[in-house]
This record gives sequence, structure tokens and C-alpha cells, in this order.
Amino acid sequence: MSSEFLLEIGTEELPASFVTHALGSMSASAVELVGQARLGTDSLQVHTMGTPRRLALRLRGLATSQPDRDETIMGPPWSAAFETDGTPKKAAAGFAKKHGLAVEDLQKQTTEKGDYVSVRVREAGRPTGTVLAEILPQICQRITFPKSMRWGAGEISFGRPIHWVVSLLDSDVIGFEFAGVQAGRATRGHRFLAPDSFDLVEASSYEDALERAHVLVDLDRRKERMMADLLSSAKALNGVLEPDAFLADECVSLVEEPFTVPGSFDESFLELPDTVVVSVMRDHQRYFAVRASEGGALLPSYLNVVNTAQDPKTIAKGNDRVLRARLADARFFVEEDRKSPLEDRLQKLESVVFQSKLGTMGAKVRRLQANAGALAERAGADPAACVEAARLCKTDLETLIVFEFPELQGEMGRWYALREGIDPAIADAIRDHYRPQGADDVVPGQIVGAVVAVADRIDTLVGCFGIGLVPSGSADPFALRRAALGIIRIALEGPIDVDLQQLVDGAYAAYTGDAQLAPAADVRASLHDFFRGRIRAMLKDEHGGDVVDACLGAWDGTSLRDLRSRIEAVSELGAAPEFEALTVAFKRAFNITKDSERGPFDSALLEAGAESALAERFQTVRDQIRTATGERRYADALKLVAQELGAPIDRFFEEVFVMVDEAGIRENRLRLLGEIADTVNGIAHFHQLGTKLQRSDPSVSA
Amino acid sequence: MTFQEIILALERFWAERGCLIVQPYNSEVGAGTFNPHTFLRAIGPEPWNVAYVEPSRRPTDGRYGENPNRLQQFHQYQVILKPSPLDIQDLYLESLRALGTDPKRHDIRFIEDDWESPTLGAWGLGWQVWLDGLEISQFTYFQQCGGIDCKPISGELTYGLERIAMYLQDVDDVYALEWAPGIRYGDLYKRAEWEWSTYNFEQADVELQKSLFEEYEKQVAILLGLSDKKGKGGALQFDREPLQRLALPAYDAVIKCSHYFNVLDARGAISVTERQRYIGRVRLIARAVAESWYAQREALGFPLLDTAAAAQ
Repeated sequence: MSSEFLLEIGTEELPASFVTHALGSMSASAVELVGQARLGTDSLQVHTMGTPRRLALRLRGLATSQPDRDETIMGPPWSAAFETDGTPKKAAAGFAKKHGLAVEDLQKQTTEKGDYVSVRVREAGRPTGTVLAEILPQICQRITFPKSMRWGAGEISFGRPIHWVVSLLDSDVIGFEFAGVQAGRATRGHRFLAPDSFDLVEASSYEDALERAHVLVDLDRRKERMMADLLSSAKALNGVLEPDAFLADECVSLVEEPFTVPGSFDESFLELPDTVVVSVMRDHQRYFAVRASEGGALLPSYLNVVNTAQDPKTIAKGNDRVLRARLADARFFVEEDRKSPLEDRLQKLESVVFQSKLGTMGAKVRRLQANAGALAERAGADPAACVEAARLCKTDLETLIVFEFPELQGEMGRWYALREGIDPAIADAIRDHYRPQGADDVVPGQIVGAVVAVADRIDTLVGCFGIGLVPSGSADPFALRRAALGIIRIALEGPIDVDLQQLVDGAYAAYTGDAQLAPAADVRASLHDFFRGRIRAMLKDEHGGDVVDACLGAWDGTSLRDLRSRIEAVSELGAAPEFEALTVAFKRAFNITKDSERGPFDSALLEAGAESALAERFQTVRDQIRTATGERRYADALKLVAQELGAPIDRFFEEVFVMVDEAGIRENRLRLLGEIADTVNGIAHFHQLGTKLQRSDPSVSA
Repeated sequence: MTFQEIILALERFWAERGCLIVQPYNSEVGAGTFNPHTFLRAIGPEPWNVAYVEPSRRPTDGRYGENPNRLQQFHQYQVILKPSPLDIQDLYLESLRALGTDPKRHDIRFIEDDWESPTLGAWGLGWQVWLDGLEISQFTYFQQCGGIDCKPISGELTYGLERIAMYLQDVDDVYALEWAPGIRYGDLYKRAEWEWSTYNFEQADVELQKSLFEEYEKQVAILLGLSDKKGKGGALQFDREPLQRLALPAYDAVIKCSHYFNVLDARGAISVTERQRYIGRVRLIARAVAESWYAQREALGFPLLDTAAAAQ
């Protein structure tokens, strides 16, 4: 036999983001408290449900009563609790009190580690209802919200004012008081369609009873219904729904019973860019857009998820009117914007602050042009196009439409530029230089956009680091981590490689006269570390942190693609079976020679056998390895290392003792190993690679 | 329903529910919240239920009378219920019925909208109320006013009268609204919108507004005896006893400062960094008034507490 429990807290309309947040904390504290109270069974199920007007928790598989408790609890060592003469110390009293017992109840327990104090706790299990009544107020109190408020007398804090609490164990009310409200069995349905209070008979009928009262309390079920409704409504309009995950989550949290009401607007508004129409509908009104086909043209229609749809015609009429005014506003903005070319906004950027210590956006744009020009030369891009794109890339920030819809920055600049007859490569770059916006976004596909994107980010990075605005912990107000990651991703995934050193130096020089930055060497060093940290964070999951570190160690801090070649080569080789032994051998070679003097070894001093065999092999392939390394053919270089040096170096370590007493032989041997280690380390620092053997072979780490 | 009928219906509705019906403030305000019937009365323990129309000025929203939806002066209907009753949402929905709107026939939703007035040092949590996608009201539980935590909490309902009227009269252009039979909104305000837009955006004398701001700011300090020195933890210090301070004239001066700041903002005469400083200055004097008001009411023994007790 198990029991089912239901808790429902009825509130005024909770904001969309509050519901999931609150349910998460509700579920976590329920699991914890029910567990502590020994009410769970193996089949315990904790399920939360919610709408804007209610937070609900359902526990299935509850024990009908607590099991009896009889256990022995270990306390402090006997010597810490009692004097030798048996007088109890503070620790004894404290331990006894903690368990509601007297010092006399303490027992001595002898273990392998010595004598300990213990108590035997015996407690008869109490009925689940009695225990729940004690823990429910805590579950309620522990519900958290992104922001809490007070109401009425102002004594209580919650996400929104509380109106009722339902607390049912099977069919019995488990009474308790929360926020001045006595828990009972009375709930309410939909605010408009079933506003009267009604009694729930039992916990298990909760969902059905609410559904009859026009409330789909389970968020997933509500969303399923909403999406199905949206898709079929779009189909009825001979179109397809424009997917929007954010909007879907938002809408489902604003209704208790979702209905879709389609509406329409004048076709002439479709002359506006699609993104504007979609943004107006989404941001201002939370409407879904409808397209003729997937990725096809927008239809002059929208879908509105509503809470009450008794009179869809009236609702559509009202919404149509609101949307018409919004779109008319947007059209006005676009028409105004088009009265003068983008270029005219450059003047305005002179009075917009980029950052108070780093000057205006106008100054930033001039630096971007310098950065973009230099970068274009190195990347083999058209410098004139890149400089022009850099010059125009921020101008749309001063348009009315972007002021109204900041998320359209770049997108609108491109649209206006194309209509001004500006070279499409430049127009695209105005849009693309904001990419990638986040981990899921693509990098600029074309070279001009990539150049400007890198130029923009490095300017921000150098400037902020130059005035000490370095991200710390979770604080990164200028999104510098994202900026650095953007540069790395553009170099690795996009059309241009980036020489980080030249990039930083160039961007630093561009600040001359604009701002007082910290000394170049300091900025360079801190950015160098910052980028390495970002690279590591980005690549460690795919390749392993040790591989990335080993390659960062050998990398000269310039070309990002060079770094990637190293990482890929090491990663690839790492998959080969012989790699483990190879790594161990080169780690050993490095560790043993790290403090020894370098220099050419003397073949005459080599011992016949394993040592001369290694030296001979090495001399044969040394130049090939170095050439391949120099030409950045790291996979080739590593292949040579593995094929040619793997067996000889293993044999060497098996047969030859390095640290012989005779100084001449020893030093010559170290020179040979040192040269081999250095050659291999030119590709990647093998000693930074982790190996499974590492721990079982103490000589390696010695 | 004509515009004036809407006002009359709301006045009657809220009067019947125990609100005092009072009149708009006689100085330029950006919203009904600035009226001392809200800003000052929301502070302290005394109960307070009030309703009034507030012509509200937003200089930057002016469109020379050319935009059918945007005005530099519009009308709010403001209701304060303190402490906020638990049935406040139901009361509000009932008031829509008084305007001839059956909530069941429409889609009415309460959409999260937190409110903050940085100049007043006030904030609250609540909603915009949407009627078929149109924001017709704002609903706020005041949490703090003039930097003082509210207790009890005031519930503030603000109806956007023009929007509600456009909806009820089914017109797309605010100037086409019927204010009274035969008189349109445009007859009353179209020219005014052009004049004020021209003034706010083009002709307001920047130096004059700046110096008026400074002078009124000084007045607040004088009228309250506000000291330059701050106490422990930045506490404000006053050289006058609470009942010697002139909190109401000082509050007038705060309102003036806030208004001149808005005009300067519309005039484009304030840079981004200056903007923050101006806001901080107004917030400081608003706080000084709020604290003085509280101290006065306290010195008087919070008289409305007795009135409320006697009424019960």
C-alpha cells in the first residue's frame, strides 16, 4: 500500500520564468525532506506541475507511515567524551542532547580504531499525514523565485500573492498554515471560465478535476496541446509555423488552457524586412509568425496563443488593431531611416560612448578600420572592402528601427546597405560581424565579415584589458569571454586564420591617442593567458585537457590554426595503440634532461647497442622531423617520431642506465636525450600529456 | 462610451468601493505615481484608498500630433489601495465590467511588468494587463518608495485612458476619440501636441531649464533643512525637526526638478553620463522628502490609523 499526496499553492499570475524556477526548488526540497523523514518508498515519484496561477507538487509511492527506527549512531571517541574517571565532558552532553537522550543513555562501542561513544535510537514510525504536516510548511517556505514581493500587510514574501493552498493525502486534508492561508481541499479553476472555488475529492483526481475546470496543469501536456494547436492553425492558413522555442516557453507559461486565435495584417507591411515583422510580433505581442513554406515568404497572418477564446472574432479584431499600430510604427521608423544613407550616422557615433575610459563609438570605428585593414592584408582579403565594412558596421546603431529593436542590429544595417546599392559583400559583413553571437551561432561565412568580426572583438578585448576590466568569476559584463571565443572560432571554423600576437599588437597600437591603456607588455601577457584559458575551455572536452595543454606548451602564440594542427595531430596519434608507450618514453626523456645542459652529443662516447642505435636513428630522421614541424606538418612529424624513434627509445630505456657515475658518458647521454626531447617538444610538450601508466611507474614522475 | 463617460464610470466605481475621489496634481508630472496622493501616502503604516485622473507628461513621447498613438500628454486613471486587498484583481476586473467590457468575451492576461522609477527611488512588482493584446493598465505592488520599504503594501492600478477609450470606441487614431458628444480629442489636444512637441524638442531654453533644475534642487535642501553631511551608512541628516520641515513645498520642488530633467532629456541636452547624475540628484531629494514626510506623520502619531480604527 502506498499513498499519493498533492500540494497546490494558488497564486496571482506568476511571471513565465518564475514557474519553472519555483517548481525546481519545490521538487528539490520535497525530495530532501521526504527522504529525511523516511516517507519514501522505492517507487516514490516526485512530479511538479504549474500554470501562471498555481504551483503543484505530487508525490506518488509514499509510505503510509514511517518505518520504525532502531539504529545505533556513532559519536565522538570515548576519550573525547569522558574523563578517565568516567566524568562526562562537554562532547558527551552535546552528543546526547543532539539525539534527545541523557548522558546515561550513551554506550561504549569498541571498534578497530578504538572506543567510541554511541547511542541507540529507537522511534516508533508515525503516520505519514502527521509527518507531512510538519514538513509541508518547510517545503513551501523553501520555494524560491527570481524575485519575491510582499503584499497586503507586507509580512510575507513570495513570487506573487497567495490565495489558496490545497494539501491532500489520498482523500484526507493534511492541515497546515502557510502565509496566513489554511491548507484545505478547495481549489479554483480557470480565472474566467471556472472562477468559483471547488473541492477536490482526492489527490489522484487533481489533474482531471482541473482539466474540467479549464486548467491543463501539467506544463508538458499544456505545451503539447498548444503546439499541436499552433501547427494545425498554421496549416489552416495554408502555411507553416515559424518555430520559436523561446516564444513557445513564454506562451505556455502565460495560459492555463491554451487556445490559438489567428489574426492578420495588411499585406503592404510585408514590404518591411521579415525580421522586423517577426520581431514586432514576437517582442511586442508574443505572436507566432506564419510562412508560406519552411523558410519561405511570410504570410500576412499571425497566431496568438490566448487563455480565453469564447469570442475569437472579437479577440482577433482587438489584436489586429494593436499589431497594425505596431507595424505602422515600424514602417515609420524604416521610412525615416531610409531618408539618409547609413554613412550619415558616422557623425552621431562620435557622441555615443563606447566605454567611458575608452572613448566614443566614433573612435572605435576608426580603430576597427585600422585593425580590419591590417588583418585583411595578412589574410589575403580585399583591404578596401574590409575597411569600408568596418567603417559602416556600427552605423545602424543610430537608426530608429535598431533603437526600437536592438536585436536587429547588423541585420538592419545589411538591409539598408543593400538598398543603398552598397557592395553585397560589405552589406553582408555589416550583419555577419556580430557572429558568432553565442555557442550555437555560426561564424561569418565570408571573408570580409570574418575580418570585421575579429577586428571588432579584439578592439574590445584590448581596450577592456587595457583599463583593467578583466572578467572575474561569473562577472563578465562586457562579454569578453564570448569575444575571445568568437575570435578563436572564426579562426578555426571560418574563412581566415588569425595571428593572435600581431592581432593584439595591432589593436593596441590603434588605441594610441584614444585612450590611456596599461603598458603593452602587460596587456599582451594578460590577454595571452586569457586566450589560452578560452582555448583550453573550448577544446578540452573534445581532445582532452592534457592534449590541449601539451600543444599550447609548444605553440608560439601566433597562428590559431597552427595550434589546431598540433592538437589534431596529437589527438589522432593518441588514438593509436603505441601512443601510450611513446608518451611514457618521451616524458621520461624530458624529465630526466630538463635541468641538464644542451649541446651536440659525441658519437664516439656512445655505448654500442641500444644507445648508438637510438642516436643513429635519430640522426637519420632528425632533419625530416624538424622540417615537417617547421612546415607545420605535425601529423607527418609525429608519424616519423612514432615510427622511427618509438622502438629505439623504448629499447634505450630498457637497456641503458642514464645516470652513470662517469660524468663524460652521463653528460653525453643526457645531451642525446635532451636533443631528442627538444625535437619532439617542438611539436607538443609530451611531458604534459597524461598517461594511464603514469601512476604505476614512479620513475617517470621522479 | 465617450472619454468623459469612462472617467465618470471609473470615479463612480471606485467611490462606491470606498476610495476617496481626489483631483489631479497641479504641477507637471510624468505619471499618477508622482502625485503626492500616491508617492507620499504609500509611505508609512496609514491606510489609504484613493482614485483620481492624472494628466501625465512625457516630453520625449511627443510626435507633433502626427502619430495616432503617441502623445506627450496623456491621461491616467490612478487607484491606490493600501493595504492591497487580496481581491484586488477581482476588483479591477469588475471595473472593466463597469466600462461595459465582459472579461469572459475577451482575452485578458496579466503579463509580468516590474515597475521602477529611478528618480523617485521607488519600485514594485506587478503586471501589464492585456485586453486582446492591448496593454490597458498597469498593476503594481509597491515595494519601496523614496528609498523606504513599504509596509503595508499599496496596490496601484493605472488605467491608460486613451487606450481604453480607443478600444471601446473602436478607433485607430487617438485624435478621433470622442471626448464628449460632438467634441473630439483632437479638438482639445491636437494643437497642444504640436506646440508642446515643438517646445520640448526645439525651443525649450536649455540654460533656463538647467538653472531652474539647480534652483529647485537647492530649495528642497533649504525647505527641509537637509544637511550636506551624511550620517552613518549614508543616512540623510536634517537640521530641522520633522514638523519644522516643509515637506509638501519641498516635494513640489522635486516634481519640478523631475520635469525639467525630462524636458532637457527630450531636448537632447543631456549626455549619457550626465543622465545618470541627474537621476541620482532627483532620487536624493525625493528620498529626503520621503523621509521627512514619514518623520512628520510619525510625529503626528500617524493620524489616519486612528481614523481607520474608528471607522471599524
